[in-house]
Amino acid sequence: MIPQIEIDKNKCATPYECKKCLQICPQAIFAVAPTKVERFKETAPEDYEVQAVFKDKCVLCMDCIKVCPTGAIKIKVGGS
Amino acid sequence: MCELCEKYGDKGRWYLNPKNYARPLYKKVEKGKEKEPMILEELRGPFYYKPLIELKDNPEAFEKMKEGYSKYHETMGGQVVSLDDAKKMVEIAHPIARIDCVCRRATRATLEDGEQRPRSCLGLGVGMFRWEEWPERYKGGVEFLSTEEAKEHIEHWHKRGMVITIMTFGTPYIGGICLCDYPDCLAIRVRLDYGIKPFLLKGHQVAKVNYEECTGCGDCVQRCQFGAIKMEVTTKKSNIDMTRCFGCGVCVYACPQDAISLIDREKLPGLKEEW
Repeated sequence: MIPQIEIDKNKCATPYECKKCLQICPQAIFAVAPTKVERFKETAPEDYEVQAVFKDKCVLCMDCIKVCPTGAIKIKVGGS
Repeated sequence: MCELCEKYGDKGRWYLNPKNYARPLYKKVEKGKEKEPMILEELRGPFYYKPLIELKDNPEAFEKMKEGYSKYHETMGGQVVSLDDAKKMVEIAHPIARIDCVCRRATRATLEDGEQRPRSCLGLGVGMFRWEEWPERYKGGVEFLSTEEAKEHIEHWHKRGMVITIMTFGTPYIGGICLCDYPDCLAIRVRLDYGIKPFLLKGHQVAKVNYEECTGCGDCVQRCQFGAIKMEVTTKKSNIDMTRCFGCGVCVYACPQDAISLIDREKLPGLKEEW
């Protein structure tokens, strides 16, 4: 059963700068990317988002939840 | 025969055909048809697979959706190449620029800033002159390399364990030579974990162990990105499953005895259709 992993964008403001969940995950299931880009301009740190992509690989170790400084990650398995 | 060679090889390996380096990377956008920049699509690459992965619990629907993804990757994909072939490629391509690995940025949020952490991927062709329009993409510049510098760059990373892959931007246009490892690399991952074949084809060679020379030290085992090598406990020799091998050659350079060699896939009837 694939777990549902949601990240609250309001709590996770600058994921590229923080990157804690991305680097701690033993299965590397997260990805971070800008939501917009502009010619000749760097994207602002606030215009990035992180999402759980390779969710079928998640082993539910919960390391990401422990490491997240803002409590932005929620993991649900099945209906629970 | 390798399908890409058949279509685009002119009787040789498709990636050694100079024609496949000659298409402009970025087509001019027609007036009034300006859409989302392609670069955003690329940077958000991993997110593109989410709908497919959601279906993992439903094999029938998964297989059905997978077909669509495979079709897409026929226009945007790549192949594993050996160090020797990569060196021949950089003699054809011009210009060559060192750039950040877009996959590693997305999966681990690492920066390859060019000083302490050298950029690992190579972009090829005229599109590189326009790279700096998108600062987001590289945080600090592209570095143009000479042919010799490019060869050294590839060799440096390959001998440290990176797989050399080539990527097309509108197959058969070759836009990059990447230095990849699992799980950072999207192409290796999507091929291995979700079976989307045209994203990353196996290379033109496969690795074979010479059992006379192998001392069973195990150095090659930990290097393989494709899970093709194991240590046979009883014979104390390294064993390569050649049906799983992608022919990258990383194990060849890990072996202190020179006991592993790359042989041509197409000389082995059992593997010549295995891409």
